[in-house]
Amino acid sequence: MPRHIVSGLKYLTAVELVRNGLSQKEVAETLDVDRSTISHYLNGRNLSWSSIEIAETITQMCPKDFLLLTYALLDDLEKTRIMVKTCSKSKWDAIVKDSCIACGICVDTCLMKAIVLENLKARIDSDWCCGCLICRDNCPTNSIEILEVENGY
Amino acid sequence: MMELKVNQDNCLGCGVCVVACPVNVSISPEVAGGHGPKTEEVVMMVENGVIKLFTDANCTKCGTCQLFCPVDAIWLE
Amino acid sequence: MVTNTKEVKALDFDISRSTEEERKLSFKDEFCIGCGICEKVCPVEAIELGDIGAIVRNEADVPKICIDEDKCVLCGMCSVGCPVDALDFTVDGESIKDMDVYPHYVSSAEIDDETCIYCKACETACPREAITIARDLPDRAKLVTGEIEIDKETCIDCGICEEMCPADAITLEHKIPTSADPTVSSDINVDKDKCVYCLICRKVCPVDAIKAVCRTCSYGEYDLDPAAAEIEGSSFIDDDLCVRCGWCQEICPVDAAKVKKPFKGELTIDQDKCTSCGACVDICPCDVLSFPQPEEPGQIVDKVFKDEKYCIYCGACGNVCPVEAITVKRTDVDYTPTKSKSWKNKMESLKT
Repeated sequence: MPRHIVSGLKYLTAVELVRNGLSQKEVAETLDVDRSTISHYLNGRNLSWSSIEIAETITQMCPKDFLLLTYALLDDLEKTRIMVKTCSKSKWDAIVKDSCIACGICVDTCLMKAIVLENLKARIDSDWCCGCLICRDNCPTNSIEILEVENGY
Repeated sequence: MMELKVNQDNCLGCGVCVVACPVNVSISPEVAGGHGPKTEEVVMMVENGVIKLFTDANCTKCGTCQLFCPVDAIWLE
Repeated sequence: MVTNTKEVKALDFDISRSTEEERKLSFKDEFCIGCGICEKVCPVEAIELGDIGAIVRNEADVPKICIDEDKCVLCGMCSVGCPVDALDFTVDGESIKDMDVYPHYVSSAEIDDETCIYCKACETACPREAITIARDLPDRAKLVTGEIEIDKETCIDCGICEEMCPADAITLEHKIPTSADPTVSSDINVDKDKCVYCLICRKVCPVDAIKAVCRTCSYGEYDLDPAAAEIEGSSFIDDDLCVRCGWCQEICPVDAAKVKKPFKGELTIDQDKCTSCGACVDICPCDVLSFPQPEEPGQIVDKVFKDEKYCIYCGACGNVCPVEAITVKRTDVDYTPTKSKSWKNKMESLKT
């Protein structure tokens, strides 16, 4: 069953990537699957609708659950990052307050690798931020605020 | 955090620690002259010929008593 | 999710966290002066200053600070706050002391070898034993000039010249006389590398067997090379041990040592509260404090004496004083600029 859900997630990601203008070849490379599989996905073959439905439910869960569940299913951080970024419909804005001490806990805990330290302050790339709030919850100085600026659901 | 310990078996009852203890002196100034303290607020006192801790909560762990004790009867660990 | 590991080596320890990069905090107990600044600057209250009075005075086998590795977030603030080299923080092996984004104290201690006369006053005075002065002294023989000769025929081997020579330059080969060779010495020699032509031997010789002349006295120093009298040397300050106290600068007779301290401040001692227990004298890393000696019987002196010239305002004395008789105030902290507000605030918070 987990394999089917992964397929569903890959299907959703593939559709979204094509919608974003990627070729089938590029999608296949990004998701590391055969081009024929992508072609099947896009033609609606070889995939049960219930898998897609479950996958859709997962993408609509709260961002943290979506991220952690996808990572648990895939066990591949790079693909998890791409799928979560592609299928996430909300946009997030991150504010790092001046109380940031640059301890780097957020950098280390961010699965999306959206955070870097610059001039002793964390900088969060909103393109990659998935709104999981793991950084905010782990910040020892409560210096991170994540705001949902666009809800696509 | 260190704790103030005494070993009455080792103690000679000389009272050097009582006099040396800066906290004792500030609480009960007469101990500086070698007299017995007038209050049990002091960290330690000689009672029945041996050292006894009274208000060790007042100890600031400066280590002076241990420095002066001739027989390892009072120490911090 | 991310956890720290702690590695303890006797009184020293390392705390580290390895993910994308390796962050490591290292504590070296021998350099710790017990100032407690690390405890004050830690943003997560992970550091506790030990009972440094008891530890230092009774050489207890306990580290001067404790860091809770579960609370520590490895930000490095304690290392930047540490005025000595007891705490070092590295990111991927590079010390943040070498990174410009982090603030650093502006402090230094230098000895100018051009000016230094290698008298070793600083080496003796340095309370941290951080200074080494290496010096090459000139040959004594090149600083004097003269002639000396012993007439061995006239010499009676009395040994008076040998006994009185202040430079130990005369040696007799003493022996027990035998019937075959009834003399008390087989030979007498002058080591011309040692002789300073003081002429004492000539003056004391009971039989006038020694001819000696000091050419410097008779003709001046024309045949001496002034370069031969020069003292070669080099100075070295161990940066790990130096606390920028300024003893070397104050004691140097030729102003060759320059010290820049990171803090300015005030040290106040309440002589009424002080009980002369000596905890502050023992903990002070800079020998600022001492017990004054009365010059005459009956004179009342201060219970403890301070000379703020040498004070670095670290606050260790205030930490150990059992009767709160000492107040250390830091009025100015000199540090390199940082773009981070929180780090700047932390550096500013050191002013009290």
